[in-house]
Amino acid sequence: MPHINYRDREISFKIVYYGPGLSGKTTNLVYIHEVLDPDRKGEIVVLDTAEERTLFFDFFPMELGRVEGYSIRFNMYTVPGQAYYEASRRLILEGSDGVVFVADSQSERLEDNIMSFQMLRDNLADYGEDWSHFPMVLQYNKRDLSGLVPVGTLENELRLDGIPVFEAVATVGIGVMETIRMASRQVIEKFQM
Amino acid sequence: MEPNDDVKTILGNLIQKSGALTGLLVTKEGVSIAAQGDTSYLNTTAMSALVAGMFSATKEVARMVGETQFSILLQQGENRHIHISLVHASTMMVIIFEDYQRIGLVRHEARKGSDMLAQALAREESSHMSSDEKIATPQFKEYALNLIDKIFEAK
Repeated sequence: MPHINYRDREISFKIVYYGPGLSGKTTNLVYIHEVLDPDRKGEIVVLDTAEERTLFFDFFPMELGRVEGYSIRFNMYTVPGQAYYEASRRLILEGSDGVVFVADSQSERLEDNIMSFQMLRDNLADYGEDWSHFPMVLQYNKRDLSGLVPVGTLENELRLDGIPVFEAVATVGIGVMETIRMASRQVIEKFQM
Repeated sequence: MEPNDDVKTILGNLIQKSGALTGLLVTKEGVSIAAQGDTSYLNTTAMSALVAGMFSATKEVARMVGETQFSILLQQGENRHIHISLVHASTMMVIIFEDYQRIGLVRHEARKGSDMLAQALAREESSHMSSDEKIATPQFKEYALNLIDKIFEAK
């Protein structure tokens, strides 16, 4: 459920990029921020460690424009992927309206992807959300590397029927805008009062 | 609603009486819902996201030591200081002030203003619940989807 400020006529949705460590969540966010028109975006906040791993979250607001007299904003977040940041992930997911799951396509990361997705399910359940009805997009990132799992592997392993899937190379922007476009569409389509 | 009873007026008065620089109301999801005082130096959107994250993290820390939550967070800087308190379960009040000797006054006004703000927010909420304005209509969604396509398709 988005936050609706009736007084100032603003609606704020929250989209969270989730996935295992080093799968490319921040890279997605930074690319989107770079290519959006200046009047569509606010300043990006990146909170990372010395190793450039996300410590708490990355964030920027994206202005969609006005619809029926309301300003629509998408607040975009990433979570830290490393397993030991479980508490941070759960907190950032609170109040989210949609999730982009960024998977690392390399076959040796398959288990990490599966574990991360299972955590996502648990985190959503903590907030009373059923992941199977939640606006969600799956992105297979790093498709330029070798030793990749074929598209369909995660859907089969995790029984993700009907989830929109995109292949991406986030470092050069391939698939990044298609992913966020679909995630944004899903959020709006499933928005109910 | 009385003109002096609205959220912005209460927050504005609170800032004035405490001699503070800026006041913000922030939801636990990190959305700024009101800002008063001088905001010219501040990115209130990013600030709200960070404050909500900070407050959530502190709540977890409280839980670990057997508390439900710490109701006040105080950050002391060299020239500017931040006092964060809960207005109610889902809204935080952020007061930024410069003279640390005013901390007692800030704390007093924050405590006094909290109940008034909570009541004003509840009044706002109930007045919108009773209004017949509809969002999330098929037409609303169609316009929003068109905007999304327009923004992303050319990129």
